[in-house]
Amino acid sequence: MIPQDRLRNFSIIAHIDHGKSTLADRLLELTHTIDARQMTSQVLDSMDLEREKGITIKARAVRLEYTSSRDGLVYGLNLIDTPGHVDFSYEVSRSLQACEGAILVVDASQGIEAQTLANVHLALREGLTIVPVLNKIDLPSAQPELVLEELENVLAIPREEVILASAKEGTGVPDILEAIVARIPAPRGNPKDRLQGLIFDSHYDPYKGVVVYVRLAAGTLHEHEEVRLMASGAESEILELGVFRPGLVPVRSLSAGEVGYVATGLKSVRDAQVGDTITSAGRPAAEPVPGYQEAKSLVFAGLYPLSGEDYPLLRDALEKLHLNDASFTYKAESSVALGFGFRCGFLGLLHMEIVQERLEREFGLDLIASAPSVEYQVVLTHGRGTVAVDNPSRLPAANDIEEIQEPWVKLSVVTPASYIGPLMELSTNRRGAFQDLEYLDPQRVLMRFHMPLAELIVDYYDQLKSRTAGYASMDYEEAGYRPANLVKVDIMVNGEPVDALSLIVHRERAQSTGRVLVEALRKLIPRQMFEVPIQAAIGSNVIARETVRALRKNVLAKCYGGDITRKRKLLEKQKEGKQRMKRVGSVEIPQEAFLAILRMGEG
Amino acid sequence: MTEREPAELATGLEAASGPAPRSLYVHVPFCVSLCPYCDFVVYTGRSTRGPRSRIDAFVGALSQELELRADIVDARFGALGSVARRPLDTLYFGGGTPSLLPPASIAALVQVVRERFGLATEAEVTLEANPGPDDRGDATGFADAGVTRLSLGAQSFQDEELRTLGRRHRGAHVADAVLAARSARIASINIDLLYDVPGQTLASWTDSLERALALAPDHVSLYALTLDDPDAEGLTGELGDHLPTRSGARRWRAASRRRQDDERATAMYHHATALLAGEGWRAYEISNWARRGHESRHNLAYWWRQPYEAVGPGAHAFDGTRRRWNAARLEGYLAALQPPDGSKPILPPGSSETVDASTAAAESMILGLRLDTGVPAELMAEPALTDAFAWAKSLGFLLVDGSRVRLTTRGRLFSNELFARLI
Repeated sequence: MIPQDRLRNFSIIAHIDHGKSTLADRLLELTHTIDARQMTSQVLDSMDLEREKGITIKARAVRLEYTSSRDGLVYGLNLIDTPGHVDFSYEVSRSLQACEGAILVVDASQGIEAQTLANVHLALREGLTIVPVLNKIDLPSAQPELVLEELENVLAIPREEVILASAKEGTGVPDILEAIVARIPAPRGNPKDRLQGLIFDSHYDPYKGVVVYVRLAAGTLHEHEEVRLMASGAESEILELGVFRPGLVPVRSLSAGEVGYVATGLKSVRDAQVGDTITSAGRPAAEPVPGYQEAKSLVFAGLYPLSGEDYPLLRDALEKLHLNDASFTYKAESSVALGFGFRCGFLGLLHMEIVQERLEREFGLDLIASAPSVEYQVVLTHGRGTVAVDNPSRLPAANDIEEIQEPWVKLSVVTPASYIGPLMELSTNRRGAFQDLEYLDPQRVLMRFHMPLAELIVDYYDQLKSRTAGYASMDYEEAGYRPANLVKVDIMVNGEPVDALSLIVHRERAQSTGRVLVEALRKLIPRQMFEVPIQAAIGSNVIARETVRALRKNVLAKCYGGDITRKRKLLEKQKEGKQRMKRVGSVEIPQEAFLAILRMGEG
Repeated sequence: MTEREPAELATGLEAASGPAPRSLYVHVPFCVSLCPYCDFVVYTGRSTRGPRSRIDAFVGALSQELELRADIVDARFGALGSVARRPLDTLYFGGGTPSLLPPASIAALVQVVRERFGLATEAEVTLEANPGPDDRGDATGFADAGVTRLSLGAQSFQDEELRTLGRRHRGAHVADAVLAARSARIASINIDLLYDVPGQTLASWTDSLERALALAPDHVSLYALTLDDPDAEGLTGELGDHLPTRSGARRWRAASRRRQDDERATAMYHHATALLAGEGWRAYEISNWARRGHESRHNLAYWWRQPYEAVGPGAHAFDGTRRRWNAARLEGYLAALQPPDGSKPILPPGSSETVDASTAAAESMILGLRLDTGVPAELMAEPALTDAFAWAKSLGFLLVDGSRVRLTTRGRLFSNELFARLI
């Protein structure tokens, strides 16, 4: 067992694509945690979705054993990986709470980006020691001098502290390992005290039950020990405990300062929540360690099974997935158009997309997501208080509303200076209020805006990328509620209101948004056996109308000769298409139609 | 499912699962020029004419394939003359433009077929031909070779439409071709016409139809111009049964799709249906009309799900449980059957799929509903099908009389809507 003074707990923080996963791979290789034969790239991003999207979605932990060249002693380095997308700053902060230090990776050709700033601030808030690394110095486009200057000016990081590295080539990686040992403090906490372990993550294993990932703050945990989860009160005899190498490797005990896993054998998701404290049932701690704030959902959408019978499956799937990803919320709701489903809250739009994809892939479900919305505060007339509305179709009647308030965010955008104009235009078109502008270096600026969150979630990020040839980056944080002149636009398909398509928009934009949306729906809803009118209305006042013409024929009137296979396959494809549609009234509406609002481009 | 067929399947050692085939399709993949809407396996230009012509090599390869396929049928059902081996009832030369083959080649192929598969005295032997003077061939020669039915790819009688479609002949040529066939005493003549052609009007369609009928054919096939994308359907791979679409054809299809109109097409179909019914034609299949006794027996075998053999690139065969097809590419076809090194010929590359019982039932129903004889009415009471049939009935798609249920004209136009609900 490695003594506490030779333990180091750290994370790697970086803007997306700055080389975090590659650096993690190199650290694993250099410490022989994984031998070169088993090495696949991005070892820690083991989810298919993560590799496909090139991002880390879930935090993960791994224990490296490193013999320091300084003193020849073996150190236990616990790397707690963090997600790298703007939606997941909540997961980042959770990981950081289990660490004493963080490696800050900055791309030598890109420089400081919006998330670099956000992550550094999170790390400093947690009192972490930062080990700055300038990565990708091998690239011909690397500008180490310029970026060193940026780090000094913007983040007050002295240039002599910065390690120059190329994770791809392996340069500088030994220096990083030495710096982890030399600069990051060992964890504190008395192994003889009563047991206190913070649960920073978990997963569900069909054989071992809920497996929690813990960082022990105090005490020592032994195999077969009877444990208690302080918030839920659940108790169990642990089935296994161990460390991440990077697979789960059992050990006999874990003590203060260490990071590892505990197979609790608990079957219920609710008994072992992330943020809870694990302690000994026989000799419990007096108090839990400070846990996490609940993740705050910013984006809400209804998730409905395509086929009503799958509702119980969806409920189970949400429950299981929630154990893996506590950062989304869900509650049952029903829709006139879509039947029974769940209103889910997400950290952002990408998070919503990921949760939906994971539900579909990992649980074999076919889902319909309603248009995403933010959560509004609605002040009722006659002093009847305020209600929160996260579903546009639940907005109270107009004459019951005194005022609607919507969430705003503080938005930071880092961009080459040449794109200031287009970004200013994009942001002010989205009702954004420009705050200030700061030069990071002569070519790049940090712009700050205040903006309604509802405007941001639609497709601001895509627009930002497309207008700056991909160069700009962004990050945002909440900035409270402000009153706004908002109205609800309802959509009627074939004369029937489809609640899942309702949206809340600024009054001045209602007309144009309604027009663009019905036009988009006309293109997305296939022709039916009859003519289908699509209308947008505010109250009973129709503001836009389009018609899907009736289908005239659908027949294979072609000579395919003896090729019956081709005929049949074409029919099977049509059948599949029909199965992926939701019948609303007498009209079959494809899944994509419910997300039409996101595909409207510049509405 | 679409791997190259394992050798043991091709040896014919499996047990016979149904009757031996009584129909045979021969694909001739040559045309003088390419029509941009056509999906069939076709080679043009130097392949068809002059010193680099591959027609002779191809006819040799076809004969070789006929021999190899016949060996398999012999192994499964016994040699020709045994009880299970009745001679073929139909033989069909399709393409491409089979009328590009010299009558002597057709005669030679018919002879191989007669020797190895048998050919009933009253067998229907169809040959597809273009009406143009340079590719319609010698009708008398074909008749002497044994052809009893000629299928003319007229497509339209309007020269403007023929130009749009990339056809080489003119409207007036169709009459010459019919006359030549009649003089050669070919017993049955079909004329193919296309509707929903860019630039076509209800008036020009009516005119084409009337001019076709004025030639007193025995059969007409009216096809909607269908602009597919075989590449997107995944049919054009190495072992696929289609060739990749040429870029010119792809562009032509994209532009033409925009000039098609469902409303107009529907009107054309209704109009043709009424006109032909008025003149006593039998609308025996969604796209096919015949005078009594002139229904295409070969095509009926497809729709009745009877086994059929097939040879030539891209050709499809069915043995009752397995659907098999040859790969489209001519090089691979010739290399297998006419090995340049003189080694023993082998079956050409291709793939197959086995049709399971439920798919077979669905196929029977769908193919049956394409015909005016329909399917047994008791199918409407099958629990898995009642909803779909009730839905179709409520929309006026079905006609139930006595023991059979069949599609109305409206039902035919929406047949895919019903079929997709039945499979």
